[in-house]
Amino acid sequence: MIAVHALTKRYGSTLAVDHLSFEVSPGAVTGFLGPNGSGKSTTMRMIMGLDTPSSGTASVNGQAYAQLRWPLREVGALLDAKAFHPGRSAYDHLWGLALTNGIPRARIDEVLDMVGLTEVAQQRAGKYSLGMGQRLGIAAALLGDPGVLLFDEPINGLDPEGIRWARYLLRGLAAEGRTVLVSSHLISEMSLTAERLVVIGRGTLIAEMSVSEFTSQSAPDTVRVVTPMTESFVNALQEAGAESRVEPGGSIVATGLTATEIGTLAADRVLTLYELTPLQGSLEDAFMELTHDAVEFRTASPTRSNGKVPT
Amino acid sequence: MTVLPSLDHLPGRTGMRQVVRAEWFKLRSLRSTTWTLLATVLGSLAVTVLATNSVQHRHGVSMGFDPTNQSLTGLALGSLAIGVLGVLAITAEYSSGTIRSTLAATPRRPVLLGAKVIVIGIVSLVVGEVLTFACFAVGQGVLSGRAPTASLSDPGVLRALVLTGAYLALLGLFGLGLGVIIRHTAGAIATYVGIIFLIPIFLQPLSSSGNPARFAPEQMLANSVAAVVPQSGQVTAPLACLLMVAYCAVVLAAAMMLLKARDA
Repeated sequence: MIAVHALTKRYGSTLAVDHLSFEVSPGAVTGFLGPNGSGKSTTMRMIMGLDTPSSGTASVNGQAYAQLRWPLREVGALLDAKAFHPGRSAYDHLWGLALTNGIPRARIDEVLDMVGLTEVAQQRAGKYSLGMGQRLGIAAALLGDPGVLLFDEPINGLDPEGIRWARYLLRGLAAEGRTVLVSSHLISEMSLTAERLVVIGRGTLIAEMSVSEFTSQSAPDTVRVVTPMTESFVNALQEAGAESRVEPGGSIVATGLTATEIGTLAADRVLTLYELTPLQGSLEDAFMELTHDAVEFRTASPTRSNGKVPT
Repeated sequence: MTVLPSLDHLPGRTGMRQVVRAEWFKLRSLRSTTWTLLATVLGSLAVTVLATNSVQHRHGVSMGFDPTNQSLTGLALGSLAIGVLGVLAITAEYSSGTIRSTLAATPRRPVLLGAKVIVIGIVSLVVGEVLTFACFAVGQGVLSGRAPTASLSDPGVLRALVLTGAYLALLGLFGLGLGVIIRHTAGAIATYVGIIFLIPIFLQPLSSSGNPARFAPEQMLANSVAAVVPQSGQVTAPLACLLMVAYCAVVLAAAMMLLKARDA
């Protein structure tokens, strides 16, 4: 159980996290979603007691992180791809952590096996690829067999096989009744892994809901219309208050009216209709819609004002 | 599947005992530790050989000649390497990102710094004592036959050697404190070198007005702590040790304050 209450982090005049409150319950993977720079990592660092909040509180199992008696036995976290010394082997890195929390040696072999690093466990971690480093971070998170887990962008650097493995792992951990919070800026990834979502933008809470609620709520009514009478149909839609655009194939994509309403409209105006398909708004669209006003770094036009394309 | 004992049945909490063991292991598991210590030993012994070997040609044998002090000249290099060992014990954690794993495992920061002080303190004490006695033995060996030599049973020699070793341990802790404050390896080492070696040079012009350079760490080591024959105008060995303890206390107290206050 993770609880964040009115959590605020200020860097000078910038509010990185602004009165953020949410809870993460056991038994489900909760996706922590937001554009880059929205305050996800800062929030996770405050939950872990690494950064001190300007105000507000974050607690794990009802206690501030620093109060936990055996922290690694209660909380495991992957916050950075590289949170180990390049000169130390994976085995030694894990043993150094295990010693602090009374974790037996046998557990190290076990977590190394779980993440698939057994064969390279004695090599210096500086030689690891980004994906292997990520797996070592996951092994460290699992070391104390904790009931609460935090993962900050865990699939960064993993290959497709690794991504699939990580999805199964996260869902498996939640299925065992653990609390799992996973941050990502990719809604498509979260839709495959998470059941619940906490969406933030510019440090404030935008939404806290299940993945299915998120898609159905945020996606506007979009319907594809195939008709031989394109021009009349577009005019009719416009009069009825819907926005429409004509696709390259000649079909119309209309937003703002349901399929039922468009069907009735076609009958009223005696317009021929070949196809009428409600489109489920893509998750990306829904996410973009939701965080539209909260994007920190918007992409600029690729051409510069002098007309030269940057090389 | 290893079944870890349930938390409800696990008494107490993680504390100094666990963290000291972990920090000791972390220090041992890095090759850079071995290299730093090897550099400390070889560098110090090499300078000692050079310094004692040059005696006959340079000094002749004067009344104030202090064979113990002469054989410990090499420790100037040793005190640099021991300081680096202290600095690296914490800055390597920051530069590699390990500090976040470390603080997740040991969120109570005073416990972490306390454990590092104990481990670095003991390691540099052992290294410092061994190094001091080794330099003494090698130095006396080189001196014998060409100049007067000292032996452990001579008055004041044993005390000077033991204090010198302990003083080196303090320099290790001084480096650790600077490392915590500055957090960057290069910056912390530069600051250490500046305080230990450069301040006395900058203070040289003031030598006629109270000679403040005599209170600088490296000056106190060379002229007071490692001296059997008292040198005029220098602080006494006990006072030098007390001052160095005070310097360490100030730096470590500032380090503790900053470590507790800053985001990792």
